[in-house]
Amino acid sequence: MNQHTATSSIPVDINPLSELIWDAINQGLILIDNNGLVVMWNKWIAKHSGIPPEFAIGHSLESLFPDGLSAAFKTALKNALSHKLPIVLSNALHRSPLPLFSVPVTKGDQPRLQQSTALTPIIDETGKHFCLIQITDATTSVKRERVLRSHSEQLSIEATTDGLTSCFNRRFFDDRFKAEFARAQRQSTPLSLIMLDIDFFKDYNDNYGHPAGDKALISVVNALKTQLNRATDVVTRYGGEEFAIILPGCAAEGSLSVAEKLRMAVIDLNIPHLFSKANKVLTISIGITTYMADTPCSASCLLDTADIALYRAKKDGRNCVRQLITPHCRKTGPNDSQQPRLTVCMT
Amino acid sequence: MNPLSEIHIDALTEVFNIGAGRAASSLSEIVGDEVILSVPSLQLVNSSEINAQMLSLNSPRLGAVKQQFSGPFNAEAMLLFTEERALEIVHDMMGSHVSIEELAEYEQEAMCELGNIILNACLSAMADILGLVLESSLPQYRVDLSDAILKQIIEEANQPLMLVLHIDLAIEKRHSQGYLAFLLSSTSLEELLVHIDRFLGNI
Repeated sequence: MNQHTATSSIPVDINPLSELIWDAINQGLILIDNNGLVVMWNKWIAKHSGIPPEFAIGHSLESLFPDGLSAAFKTALKNALSHKLPIVLSNALHRSPLPLFSVPVTKGDQPRLQQSTALTPIIDETGKHFCLIQITDATTSVKRERVLRSHSEQLSIEATTDGLTSCFNRRFFDDRFKAEFARAQRQSTPLSLIMLDIDFFKDYNDNYGHPAGDKALISVVNALKTQLNRATDVVTRYGGEEFAIILPGCAAEGSLSVAEKLRMAVIDLNIPHLFSKANKVLTISIGITTYMADTPCSASCLLDTADIALYRAKKDGRNCVRQLITPHCRKTGPNDSQQPRLTVCMT
Repeated sequence: MNPLSEIHIDALTEVFNIGAGRAASSLSEIVGDEVILSVPSLQLVNSSEINAQMLSLNSPRLGAVKQQFSGPFNAEAMLLFTEERALEIVHDMMGSHVSIEELAEYEQEAMCELGNIILNACLSAMADILGLVLESSLPQYRVDLSDAILKQIIEEANQPLMLVLHIDLAIEKRHSQGYLAFLLSSTSLEELLVHIDRFLGNI
């Protein structure tokens, strides 16, 4: 056995007060000499590793933890000893570099402690090099992070959801539309935008009452959702009874067939609407516009064009789909209210 | 005014590129994908001229990792990045998809580690090549408004001249590319130059 095999974890030249402090510190401390052997091993580390100091001292960490050390930790220790520069191993990137466990250590299937680690080179007065390894139990802060994160995810869901229909809200639409438009421009892919409006919804509300109106809105949203298969295609409530659907990567023909399916799905709900001038049941009017790759068109221009298409659908008797394609949008500046030059109007 | 000659600049660029290569191999190990770091340019500038624009860090907020190095010459080394860029890198490294608004404490710690890897690699390369022994403090990380960060750095350095390195960082798998600025303010620039000259004389 090694000559350090004393009952104390401290080499003889450490004064008694330092030894008490070393063991009282509520974090893991290991001192390694220039040959990579353990010189000091505090109580905390003994408790959480299950290895008493008398077994640890004089041995390398690799032999104490035969398959327990992470590769990154081994590299870090090697670097700290050779370059003599301090190194941090963050918990975010290295959850548990050392096989340390919560007390009591059973060494069964116990999960490792979450750790934050720092390696600091130390030179004593005789010029001998050491490396101090400090380990902090990060379990509590990791837990707190998770709670905060899940709260923040919940809040962000609430902030982008429409309370009545549980579809996404206008705020979500604004952000998503901006992002998807920028992506379409960047990747030169088409992007279609559907705007739709429930026909004579005011008359529905006035005659059937607001609770019935609310129920109808929910039914319409659910019907629209059933027609959208891709995860990227989501219904958003644009305002009152107006909804918008962004179809990334979807060209003119594709978006037209989606729109037609949406229109039919609402008719198939068969919600009686005796006060509609379009039909005997609840119907929707749909305007579609498609951004064609590499055409000079802005996000706000596309939005305006979808609005114009929706307006045409309403003007043409409602319960129908109108599509406007914008190959040459002539918007030049943000204040230019000139109507885009448009082609084709169909269905 | 500028005490650095072409040859000094070339030698230092070489030294820091070797450091960047070392940092890249450590980072690659963590990311599990090839990380490429390079130092395309290096210049000595007046502290008063340092601003976010000149560092090409156009962001309202910056993150900074700082370490104090001491030895034959003393130096304060800082790695600066835009907050957005910093998080992208951490997310690439962690493989998580948390939004930038949710900058969490332990991700800041990860930024500290990232900075530590790059600073240590650059300074240890310098120490090895110039045959010096450098000591260092543990890294400190701070995120704040760009102006506040830069103002503090310049005040604390309290040196008329600073060495500015541009570092390109690319992570293969994610096609992510980024740019970091490295500032070195040395209280004994003269000493550093003596060591570089000695090194150049030995080649």
